[in-house]
Amino acid sequence: MTAAVLLAAFALGAIGWFVARARARLLYAGRESMHSMPVYHAWHLALWVVLPALVVWGLWSVIAPPIVDGVVLASPAGTQIPTDPVQRAAILSEARGIAADPSFIGFYDQSSTIAAPMRAAQARFGLIGTVLMALAALAGGGYAWTRVTGRFPARTRVERAVMLTLLAASLLAILTTLGIIGSLVFEAGLFFRDVSPIAFLTGLHWAPANAVGDDLNANFGAVPLFWGTIFIGAIIAMIVAIPLGLMSAVYLTQYADRRARKVLKPVLEILAGIPTVVYGYFAALTVAPFIRDLAASLGAQNPSTESALAAGLVMGVMIIPFVSSMADDAIAAVPRAMADGSLAMGATKSETIKKVLLPAALPGIVAGVMLAVSRAIGETMIVVMAAGAAARLSLNPLESMTTVTYQIVQLLTGDQEFNSPKTLSAFALGLVLFVVTLILNIIALRVVKRFREAYE
Amino acid sequence: MSNTWKNPDMARRIARRNAAERRFKALGLGAIVLSLLFLAVLLFIMLKNGLGGLDWAFLSGSDATDASAAGVWGAAKGSFLTMVVTLVLSFPMGVLAAIYLEEFAPRNRWVDWVEVSINNLAAVPSIIFGLLGLAVFINTLGMARSSPLVGGLTLALMTMPVIVISGRNAIKAVPPSIRTAALGVGASPVQVVFHHVLPLALPGILTGTIIGMARALGETAPLLMIGMRAFVATPASGINDPSSVLPMQIFLWSDEIDRGFVQNTSAAIIVLLVFLLAMNGLAIYLRNKFETRW
Amino acid sequence: MPEAKLPDSKLTARNVDVFYGDKKAIDDVSIDIGNGVVTAFIGPSGCGKSTFLRTLNRMNDTIAGARVTGQILLDGEDIYDRDMDPVALRARVGMVFQKPNPFPKSIYENVAYGPRIHGLAQAKPEMDAIVEKALTRAGLWNEVKDRLTDAGTALSGGQQQRLCIARAVAVSPEVILMDEPCSALDPIATARIEELIEDLKDRYAIVIVTHSMQQAARVSQRTAFFHLGKMVEYGDTDQIFTNPREERTKDYITGRYG
Ligand SMILES: Nc1ncnc2c1ncn2[C@@H]1O[C@H](COP(=O)(O)OP(=O)(O)OP(=O)(O)O)[C@@H](O)[C@H]1O
Ligand SMILES: [Mg+2]
Repeated sequence: MTAAVLLAAFALGAIGWFVARARARLLYAGRESMHSMPVYHAWHLALWVVLPALVVWGLWSVIAPPIVDGVVLASPAGTQIPTDPVQRAAILSEARGIAADPSFIGFYDQSSTIAAPMRAAQARFGLIGTVLMALAALAGGGYAWTRVTGRFPARTRVERAVMLTLLAASLLAILTTLGIIGSLVFEAGLFFRDVSPIAFLTGLHWAPANAVGDDLNANFGAVPLFWGTIFIGAIIAMIVAIPLGLMSAVYLTQYADRRARKVLKPVLEILAGIPTVVYGYFAALTVAPFIRDLAASLGAQNPSTESALAAGLVMGVMIIPFVSSMADDAIAAVPRAMADGSLAMGATKSETIKKVLLPAALPGIVAGVMLAVSRAIGETMIVVMAAGAAARLSLNPLESMTTVTYQIVQLLTGDQEFNSPKTLSAFALGLVLFVVTLILNIIALRVVKRFREAYE
Repeated sequence: MSNTWKNPDMARRIARRNAAERRFKALGLGAIVLSLLFLAVLLFIMLKNGLGGLDWAFLSGSDATDASAAGVWGAAKGSFLTMVVTLVLSFPMGVLAAIYLEEFAPRNRWVDWVEVSINNLAAVPSIIFGLLGLAVFINTLGMARSSPLVGGLTLALMTMPVIVISGRNAIKAVPPSIRTAALGVGASPVQVVFHHVLPLALPGILTGTIIGMARALGETAPLLMIGMRAFVATPASGINDPSSVLPMQIFLWSDEIDRGFVQNTSAAIIVLLVFLLAMNGLAIYLRNKFETRW
Repeated sequence: MPEAKLPDSKLTARNVDVFYGDKKAIDDVSIDIGNGVVTAFIGPSGCGKSTFLRTLNRMNDTIAGARVTGQILLDGEDIYDRDMDPVALRARVGMVFQKPNPFPKSIYENVAYGPRIHGLAQAKPEMDAIVEKALTRAGLWNEVKDRLTDAGTALSGGQQQRLCIARAVAVSPEVILMDEPCSALDPIATARIEELIEDLKDRYAIVIVTHSMQQAARVSQRTAFFHLGKMVEYGDTDQIFTNPREERTKDYITGRYG
């Protein structure tokens, strides 16, 4: 229904486009000078048809539902339903569901009784909305029609509309950022009404399942999650990714000839393109049991299948191409003269790399590692599938360990009661994760920028 | 003088240094080989476990509680619908934003904020976008849980910065001389961009878009947040129906106890990887084909 | 080919060709470079001066696709021989580049770098002595002796170039190759480097590439003129500048082209 109406609006716009162009062409033929080409008059008119229609549609889709609800509630069946606002809202929403799809099964009986009046009211007000849209489109089109004249600066107007669209598109990025911050802060704020931020950020015990009544503060201590996240993402994964990524970059930039580089680099990048859920499955299916058996054969007592080591290792491999390409960029930014200076003194290539190139590229490499850490600690699927649920402060990589992202998933999937401290705590964890990665990203991007400028 | 370089101590020292040089080079090659070995093992295990399960019934079926009856079509269709929503939203928005930032934006604090915002969004963990989708699209706007519409919206927000960044780079690569030339024959700045700059930048933009879409196609975590983990036995018929997506299907099957699902999981992974490889291959092809050096 | 045998020749090149891929950049050059004199290479841009200079310490090895044929002898030993290690060779034949390129390290470490990698000093006092001697020879000691731990990149352009000379001198080379060492410097810094070259020439064989006729005339005793990959003329600087044998040399020196 909605789609049809919108399509109709665009169809009207298209008709307007051709009509306006035809008229402008006639004018054009009659005169030598005209401010704008006919096609701009076409766009100008089309915009004046579509935009008012869309505005009316947007307004109507906000205004109409409350009116529809009012009408339904005033109907004979509607007067029967409970006055409690929460129940009333739930019933109305179910009725909307049934109205849209008769096979929908509601929880409340009343919702099926008001489904018929609901459908009728929706149809009536839908029709009114459609008529209003049509009027707006005609009014807009009529106005623009009067403007199809030789002097009218249609191009300027259309271009102004284009600029506004461009601006709006780029503001979407800010809107997204604000949306993230807003929703995280809002929901986390609800959580922090019940749980003190200090207890959350410094508490050592994490057991949201036990959290009932007054002992909330005691069960929402997130430090074990922070530790698990750091241990897996910033320590184990980096122990794998930094040396391997760095050495790959060194080999690719300094030793491999052009042909080898052309093959090896994209192949290495396949590693970065594999979805994390595949890594997670591989970690759980192959790597974790392998590590467990290895640990057992080395004499570990009851090693667990899920281990920080398995998750961290696989995450590290996933990050290798990222570290490698950041290091690649950093090394490439060091002027060749620097390496030449060293080689010309009789340093070997590896001495030059270790003592001159890498130190010179260090800021860029460090920034790359920071971005890699930010990726690793925000990585979800690998830890969900391989790290485990146990919130534990341990230094033993063979133990199962949980992370911030794992807990967010755990808390928000399955049976969730909305607005319980349990679900809200996921947003608090998300807020911490967002802030930490944001800081890492901002610092790293700054460093990279400065570093590039230094060798410009 | 040249005696310094002739004495046996120095000769030994140089031999030692040359040996260290060879070791270092071998280490570099070793690092690459090790990484590629890991990739090879991963692919080998998935192929070994999954190839047997790749038949027509699997490709055309939907999820089922019985491993041998379960198929991947429902999830694939969900992925397709989700990707369509993502593409339809993120591509125009991303390209328009890139045009604005690269061609028209004044240098001021606002625009700086937009840039910082975009660069950061490209590095924000994907699960955060899931939280945003949950809080805004589902809890606030009351859109349908588990639907390709919400999934696509969420992934679009995630993909847009990628498209903006690659779009800007592609636009930046168009030489200024083309703009001056077009301005010189009397085109307006908007005409210059849409008639001259954009067509030249398009291959680069498309490459970036495909790469961003491939990332979105493999994404699981944000979709977990908005509940696209429902057991869906019939393929979605529209973007508002509950649905699953390929990576989510992999995740759900990986949790099943029944051994039969190991084959299904691996087979679904093969399907997903084939799509991703095809997309990345297309991106590389486009890049090579249209790579122009001005 | 014009060819002048010197009594005391340090480097001898015979029939040297250099290729970049299929492109021939140096065509059949033979030259003797004397000990204790400054030899200048002059010629129009792109004629192969830098290329030939780099063959003298095998820096061309580091360029993908570069190939050298012919013979180059250092004290009678073929430097492209299998037994000649480029590491030792480059310590014996040092190089100073067009743009000062100090390492991103302290002044001290910049100079100590070479001796350290070659193991020329056993202990700290010995290294200190090497660094001081090298900086003194490069005429930089008095300016930097109180700030040895400052970054090498914090010096002025001229000081940086002298630091690079000190760096080369620190490994006690026998030959120093300089590729337009003053082209990035102002006249005062240039004058200092020229004085320095004058001071250094007794201990080392020095080869300098330059685009400035005046500079070649001022600092060198021997001059080789290159054109389109060939060495057109080689002789005493005075003779080249006052009485060139070849028409092309004359044209270049009188500014007819280049
Ligand atoms: N790395 C390289 N790869 C391919 N060709 C090169 C390379 N370096 C130099 N050439 C070519 O070799 C020729 C000689 O170059 P070279 O740098 O030796 O000239 P030059 O005399 O030093 O010039 P200038 O006075 O401008 O420094 C030129 O034609 C140049 O294009
Ligand atoms: Mg040169």
